[in-house]
Formats: sequence, structure tokens, C-alpha cells
Amino acid sequence: MSKVRVEGLTRFKAYEILGPLGVVFVISIGVGLISASLQLAVQFALCNLVMVLALQAFVGNSGVLSFGHASFAMIGAWVSGMSTASERVKGNALALEKLWEPLITWNLNLYTSIFLAMIAGGVVAAIAGAFLMRLNGLAAGIATFAVLGLFYNFFFNNTKIGPGSQALPAVPKFDGVYEPLLLAMIAMILVYGLNVSSIGRKLRATREDLMSAPALGISTQKVRWIAFTLSGTLAGLSGAMYVHVAGTWQVQDYYLVFTFLTLAMLIIGGSASMWGAVAGTLVVTAVGQVLLLWEQGKSILGLRIDLPNGARSMLIAATLVGMLLWRSSGLTQGKEFDPRRKRN
Amino acid sequence: MQAVLDAISLGGTYALAALGLGLVFGVLKLVNFAHAELITIAAYIMVITNDLPLVVSFLIAALSATALAVLTELTVYRRLRGTGPAIMLIASFGLSVGLQKSFELIFGALPRSAAVAPWMTGSIEMANLNITIASLVTVGLTIFILLAMGYLVDYTTLGLQLRAASADFKTARLLGVRSNRLITSSFAISGVLAAFVGFIVVVENPQVEPMFGLNITILALVGIVIGGISSLRGCALGGFIVGFILSVLNTYLGNARVYAYSYLFMAVVIILLVRPGGILSKGNEMERV
Amino acid sequence: MSLLKVENLCSGYGKVDVLFGISFSLSEGKSLGIVGPNGVGKSTLLKTIAGEIVPKSGVVSLLGEDITGKKPEDIVRLGLSLVPEGRQIFSGLSVTENLLLGLTGRKDKSSSKIALEQVKALFPVLNTHAKHQAGMLSGGQQQQLAISRALLSAPRVLLLDEPSLGLAPNVILDVFEKLKEIIANKTAVVIVEQRAHLVASFADQTIVIRDGQIQATLSSADAKNQELLRGAYFGPGS
Repeated sequence: MSKVRVEGLTRFKAYEILGPLGVVFVISIGVGLISASLQLAVQFALCNLVMVLALQAFVGNSGVLSFGHASFAMIGAWVSGMSTASERVKGNALALEKLWEPLITWNLNLYTSIFLAMIAGGVVAAIAGAFLMRLNGLAAGIATFAVLGLFYNFFFNNTKIGPGSQALPAVPKFDGVYEPLLLAMIAMILVYGLNVSSIGRKLRATREDLMSAPALGISTQKVRWIAFTLSGTLAGLSGAMYVHVAGTWQVQDYYLVFTFLTLAMLIIGGSASMWGAVAGTLVVTAVGQVLLLWEQGKSILGLRIDLPNGARSMLIAATLVGMLLWRSSGLTQGKEFDPRRKRN
Repeated sequence: MQAVLDAISLGGTYALAALGLGLVFGVLKLVNFAHAELITIAAYIMVITNDLPLVVSFLIAALSATALAVLTELTVYRRLRGTGPAIMLIASFGLSVGLQKSFELIFGALPRSAAVAPWMTGSIEMANLNITIASLVTVGLTIFILLAMGYLVDYTTLGLQLRAASADFKTARLLGVRSNRLITSSFAISGVLAAFVGFIVVVENPQVEPMFGLNITILALVGIVIGGISSLRGCALGGFIVGFILSVLNTYLGNARVYAYSYLFMAVVIILLVRPGGILSKGNEMERV
Repeated sequence: MSLLKVENLCSGYGKVDVLFGISFSLSEGKSLGIVGPNGVGKSTLLKTIAGEIVPKSGVVSLLGEDITGKKPEDIVRLGLSLVPEGRQIFSGLSVTENLLLGLTGRKDKSSSKIALEQVKALFPVLNTHAKHQAGMLSGGQQQQLAISRALLSAPRVLLLDEPSLGLAPNVILDVFEKLKEIIANKTAVVIVEQRAHLVASFADQTIVIRDGQIQATLSSADAKNQELLRGAYFGPGS
């Protein structure tokens, strides 16, 4: 009988982590040097990458869909944005109601704020997870979505603690790609570490067979909770990075489009491996960039297709669906990076 | 009185949306986000063909929504069958966004509007109470459709096959239930239901834009899960509860009504924690995506 | 003539091969038993014949027509019906509704009413519980329901996967008595069973599957020979 390969079954192999790190490093630096607009695109892609990694850590390993991760990013971004935005802007520019006094004077340096954002994302995920990790399947998905809806509704309408439906401007920005690149690479190492750890293996055991995992002494709820919390921490990091790339905090940035774009990146790359998260983010971002250039009437490698205004978003969506039709278990088919295998 | 009627009519509308979603979920285990665009296309068509008699305009709208529903099944979902719910769900979201952007290209990003069935915006006096015609018509219409759907599901061959396939598709096929035909039918019915929802919503809110159907679809989705996704009755009930609660919250929260969704989502989490399989479920079933 | 003919069938799940070249044929009014240890692919064989699994190679023909790779819903219309393992009745539907579903795959709808009467005469217990939820029936009653449901498509060939599973001994005998009547009615029957002795003495012919291949073919007379049966079952030297 032939051997069956279980998706994402990993033990630590140096090339599985060094390979993706190298790919991300080279592409980020290389592409970031070409132009200012591409540098910005790389910065955003790195934010998305951290979010996709966060999703892979939980969704990919546990098989439970989460629509709630954007809320952890939202919180992380809020903490990091609010604590670093200029005091003058917070005091005056926000219309409607006056911001709560301690928030106006809240002032941290960039890295402290990012660290705090990660803790905030992790704590919120830990609290939500303590309740939600009992659920499975679609109920878990909808419950996590309810968490997102709750946070969104709250931030959208509350002008005491944030800008409400408006944007909080004047958040300090990263200088170049190095800072987000470093953070993304740390996130990659963390997620790969989780995947090859005993927690990661136990989590995948619950994904493969929910009923018999307890027989192996695995507490499904506990391993899911640990992964959810770690994953929430990374989502908080992603949000914090996002706010320092965009230079502004707006609750709409962390809602449906963000949720599904990052989930789509994960599924398209292949949700069972860290390399899948990287590949999905790379490919979807690249497709978006190509279409953007075409929409602006530029040519890529001599190929020029004039797209009508607004066609880009539609074509990105169409490409996502097309990729799922073409290869439904993801580009990496659930495998980690392997230099000896022919690349797909 | 008007508040009660409003709550019932909103609940009924959400119940119809939830029923459309639940029907497709039952046979395909697909959470069809693109249901939103079926509602949207129906509403667009109602606005564009507003000069035609209402019935004709609605028929065209229903045909369009049904055609779109069947088209998504034939071109995308059929080819993804057997890949698992998570992938189908992401595909349906991709379809949903893609269709929204297509609407934007075709109809423009700004709202299109027309007074659909203007006679419904008036009100009549009943037992010293002022009641809007729209809420009466909506309540009547939803009751009628829910009864018709109940008949279809409980007393026709198609309904029997739908119930059997929802419970166990493999065995249903062994008995001769034609899978493609049944799935296509359920998409078609969900299209018709979406058209009714589009009509009801567009009367109250004639500003149709590309994301017109999104909100109600997401809430209906929440509804089918809290009602119990494994039965159509549960889906309809869940949809109704969500619409009803939302309407009541809007009436009684006063200035805090902007937080209605927060309360609703809190209620959803609590309901799911107490009954993970939904209100109408028979115990604690385990499932995974 | 042969109703069902299986030639060199290879089948499995995904990358895992389970069956390697199974061949047999079955004619009208005959019964075939299939026995073998757990996990050798007996159920896989039935599922492949009924169209639930697409075979890797080989040919299945029904009444001379090649049905290899056809969909299960089409195969049932051509006259082959499978009673799946674990009965798989629709427990949330009523007994009558389960039976009505059995008519779905029936070609000649004009005789539906008569057919319903016939199975109710064969299994009277279904009549008394017609309005009850099928899930409320006892195991033996559920098995009778599953068989009736399959019979309603008017099959020429009936496949049964472990009909004795979970039934009390006297109920098993009941079920097999009914099967005799069905076979007498010119239907060919294939029975997969764990209880080798039971089916070997019942069926006209019994094949023993091990390691995905046919190890022995036994007549009903061989069934009395315990040595032979055990040898075929567990391999030489057991």
C-alpha cells in the first residue's frame, strides 16, 4: 500500500524556515528599492503577511475558521496608534465629542506601543478564546465573527475612545521596509516554531480527528486556546504594523475586506503550512500590483492591458476564485518550503 | 403597535433571507456569501424597471436573481464540490466581492434610486392606530412565502429530496436523487427568495448600491447559526429572531440605538455558548470545518 | 444471462489502493456472498459497484451495459441498488417518507403504488409504524426499512452491506428469510458479511477477499467445511 502524507506534518528542518525567510527578505528589499509606491506596497504586504501567519497558526492548524482575528488587529492598531499619535491632533482635530482625557496625553515610543499592541491583541484573544474555544465548525466561525461585529460596532460609534467612523490622523510611520520586514520575520519564526512544537502537532491532531484526539490525552479546548491566544498576539502585531504604515487609524480598515482578503491569502497559499501563508500573501499581493499597474496604463515586462477604472478589484476577486478552482488545496498543497522539490 | 408590526416584518424579511441561505447550506454545506448579491441584483432590477408594472418588474428581478444564483453554481460551486466548506466559503466571498465590483462597473458606485411601489409608503388607520402599508404588506407577504415554502418542503417530492439530501447526501444519491438537479433547484429557489427580500427592502430603502444586500445577508447568516443550521425551520426561526431583536433594540434603545449591533452580537455569542448547535438543535453535535 | 459482471476491478480512496483486480459475475435469481476480515475492502467493492467510488481500473457491467464510473443516481435507475453499511435510513424522516424516497430511482412510476403495497406485505412491521420517525425503529426494523427502500427502485441486483450488523440472532434469521423471498423474485443479491459462516451457507456462492484480492470461491456446500472456510479467511497455515 502507498504511504499517505498527512498535510502539515512537520518536524523542525532548518531549510523550512530559512528558505521562506530568505524569500521574504530578498523580495521585500529588492522590490522595495524600485520605487516609493512599491515600497509602500511591500510595507502593506508585510502587515498582511503577519496577519495571514496569525491565521495560519490558528485556522490552518486547528481547522476552525476564525472571522474574529481582524478585531485583535483592530485593538492592536488602536493601542499602537492612539499611544503614538500627536497629542495636539488628539486634543483638537477629532470632531464630535472630546476624546477621553488620559487618551490624549497617552504617549509611548513606537516600539513600546507595538509591544503593548501585541499584548492587547493576545489578552483580548485569550479572553474571547476562553469562551469560544468550546465551539466547533460553523458555530465557532459565526461566534468569532460576532466578536468582530461587536468591536466594530463599538469603535465605529464611540467617539470618547477613538475617532468613531472617522480617521485618527498623524500616527508616526515606519521609515522604509526594514522595520516591518524585521517584525514579519520574527512572526514567521514564531509561527514555524508553533507548527513544529508539540502544541502544533496536538492541534493538527484535533483537526484531523476531533473525536479521537481526547483519547490521545489532548485537550482540544486547551490547545486551541493556546494557539488562539498566540494567534491573537500576532494579529495585534499586524494591526500595529498596519497603523504605522498607513499613518492613520480607521476602524473600517479592520473589518470585512481585511478579514477575507487575509483568509483568502491563507487558503490560496495553502492553510496547512507556514510557507503556504507566505506564498499566498506573495501571490495575491503580486496579482494586485500587476492589475494596479495595468489600471494605471503602465506596462509590465512589455505587456500592457488597459483596464477600465474600478476593474482591478473585480479582477482580484475573480483571480481568487480562479485560483481556488485551479488548485483548491492551495499553491503549496499544505507542504512546507523544500528546496529539493520542484517549485510549483 | 407599529413597533410590533415593524419587528415582525423585519423578522420575517430576515427569515426569508435566512431560508435562502439555509436551503443551499443544507444540500451543499456551503455558506453562500454571494446570496447578498442575489438580493442586490433583484433590487437594482426593481429600480431600473420601475416604469413597468410592479408584477412585471418583480418577475424580471426574480428571474435575474435566479439566473445569477444558478450561474454561480454552474461556473464555480459545482467545480469546487468535495473541496470542503472552508474553501467553498472563501470562494463564495470572492464571488460576492467580485459581483459587488461588477455592479459598481455596471451601475456605478453611487446609489441608484426610484420609488418602488410608492403606494406602500402611505399609512392607513386601523382601530385608531396609524399603520404603514409597507409593514402590513411585508408581514402578509412573508407569512405567505413562509407557508408556501413550508408546503414545498413538507409535502412535495422536491421538498422530501431536499430534506433527505440535507441529512445525508450520499444515501440520497444511492436512492436516485439527482445531485446536480437538486442542488441547482435549491440555488434557484434561493434566488427567488432573495428577490422577495430585495423587493421588500427596496420599498423601505430605495437607495440601491453595490453592497445593498450585504448587511442583511450577514445578519441572516448569524440567524441560521443561532436558529440551528441543520433544519430549515431552525434557519427561518433564527433569521426571524435576529430581525425581531434588532427591530426591538432600535425602538427601545433610544440614543444608544447605534449600539444595537453590539447587543445583538453579545446575544449571539451567549446563545451559541449555551446551544452550540442552535436553538432548535437536538443536543451537542460536534463538527469541524 | 449474467446480470452483474465485475472484471478486474481496482479501487481505493485517494492515493490508497484497496482492491486489486476483483472479478466475478452473477446471474438472475442467484446470490453471492462476500466475506473477509475487517478492512479488506468489502464495503469499498460494493461502493465502487454502486458508483459511490470511481474505480481506478476495471469494468462493471449491469445487464450487459457498461456502468463503470457512472453516478450512483444513474446506476440505481439502471437497476442496481445498494443497502449501505449501517443502514443509513433517514432517522429524522418518517417511515413512509423513507419509503417514498426509495421510489426516486424507480423507472416505471406507474407501478409505484403496487410496489409500496408489495414491500409492506413483505415487511408488515413497516405498515404499523408508517407515520413514526424512522429513527425510533429498532435495529431490525431499520434494516427492514433500508431493504424495502432499496427494493422500491425495482432493482435487478441488490447489494447489501453487513445486513446483520447490530441485530439480534433471531432477527438476523428473519432478515435472511426475507432475502430468500426477494431472490425467489428473480432479483440477484450480493451480501457482504462479517459472519462468514452465516452467509456462506446462505448464498449460492461465496467469495473470500483478503489483501484486496479474491482468495477463494466457495459453494454453499463448502460452508459446512470449517477447515476450508478458515483457511481461505486467514490464509494458509492458520
